Amino acid sequence: MHWSEARDIIRKWREENARNSIELVELWEDILKPKAYKLGDEHYLVLEQVCTAAFDCNRLDVATDCLQVLSSKFPGSVRIALLQVLHLEALERYDDALNLVDSIIKRDETNAAPRKRRVAILKAQGKTVEAIKDLSEYLKVFMVDQEAWQELCELYLCEQEYGKAAFCMEELLLHNPHNHLYHQRLAEIKYTQGGFENMDIARLYFCQSYKLNPKNIRSLYGIFLSSANVAASQKCTSSKKKEANQLSVWALKQINERYRDARGKNDEALDSLENNLGLLHLNSTTS
Amino acid sequence: MASSYYRAITFLGLFSLLHAAYSAAQHRSYLRITGQEFTSLPSDIIIQGIISLFLTMYGVIHIAGEFKEIRATVELESRTWETQKNLPSFYIFNHRGKALSPTYMPEYRSNGSS
Repeated sequence: MHWSEARDIIRKWREENARNSIELVELWEDILKPKAYKLGDEHYLVLEQVCTAAFDCNRLDVATDCLQVLSSKFPGSVRIALLQVLHLEALERYDDALNLVDSIIKRDETNAAPRKRRVAILKAQGKTVEAIKDLSEYLKVFMVDQEAWQELCELYLCEQEYGKAAFCMEELLLHNPHNHLYHQRLAEIKYTQGGFENMDIARLYFCQSYKLNPKNIRSLYGIFLSSANVAASQKCTSSKKKEANQLSVWALKQINERYRDARGKNDEALDSLENNLGLLHLNSTTS
Repeated sequence: MASSYYRAITFLGLFSLLHAAYSAAQHRSYLRITGQEFTSLPSDIIIQGIISLFLTMYGVIHIAGEFKEIRATVELESRTWETQKNLPSFYIFNHRGKALSPTYMPEYRSNGSS
């Protein structure tokens, strides 16, 4: 592989937030490291990325090399100091990491990154409740931080506080009304919460997600399951029941068509899929 | 290479545009010297100007880079939850990935009575 291809792959991962840590470290060691001088200014961005990835797969040798280059180039930088915090975390010296983060926060109170790092350290120690408290305090100051809202949602889900998690997801939806994944996620949270009203809301959000991205098969399954659930509920009015039934039949048809398109005319596989969907339906009605 | 071809077209168009402007200025000064009234530019200069404008536009469109889809949802369609839920600011490192590294030393805990 040519070094420029490796650079393009790494750049793509950096922009997409893909985590592929092991692959990233391998690319760096095998291809990019001897050619690093050719990267120009991007060199330091790549070094930071590789450093984080190396901590992620516990390659402390690679990480300390990167860290040395970076800290000799940018002494006194907050970003490099945060990498040092990551180093302490990778060594599981959480108390030292917390002290270092606190000193960085004192040095630059307006910087969001070290405050988020503090939450991550608490999470790594398994103190989810404290992490939630810290993150809520953070969000009172930095209200437009989407990453933080998403993380708070995940933390609430860890604690099974579905109502609060749904609130965080709604906040994210306000920021990104066009993102089908957030609609799908909110629908899933509502579906997990259960009950007739939540199931109905889940159905709506699954539909919206499918409308935004017709390739999203997960929301198609979501539409099928949630509308079947709504139709089976006792609180459901007859007109609504009819509508939900129609929707579930439609979704089932769409799913079948998608599989038919993907597999060609493979009737055996389709039959088994139909049987399994029937089981799914049965399970959702009995539960 | 394709991009150098389009770059050449752009420069050709720009050069031709400048040339047309220079010709127009020359025409005006010629009229002033000969004492004639200005009515309109000669048609060859106008045609040259228009053609070189389109040539430049064609070249610029091809070297400006990829166009983005105007609908907001299209770019998000290819995203998956895997990359969407991945938040670099909140990475934690005490996960099982550690055990896959070549330098990993498992901790030997004393078994005690169990």
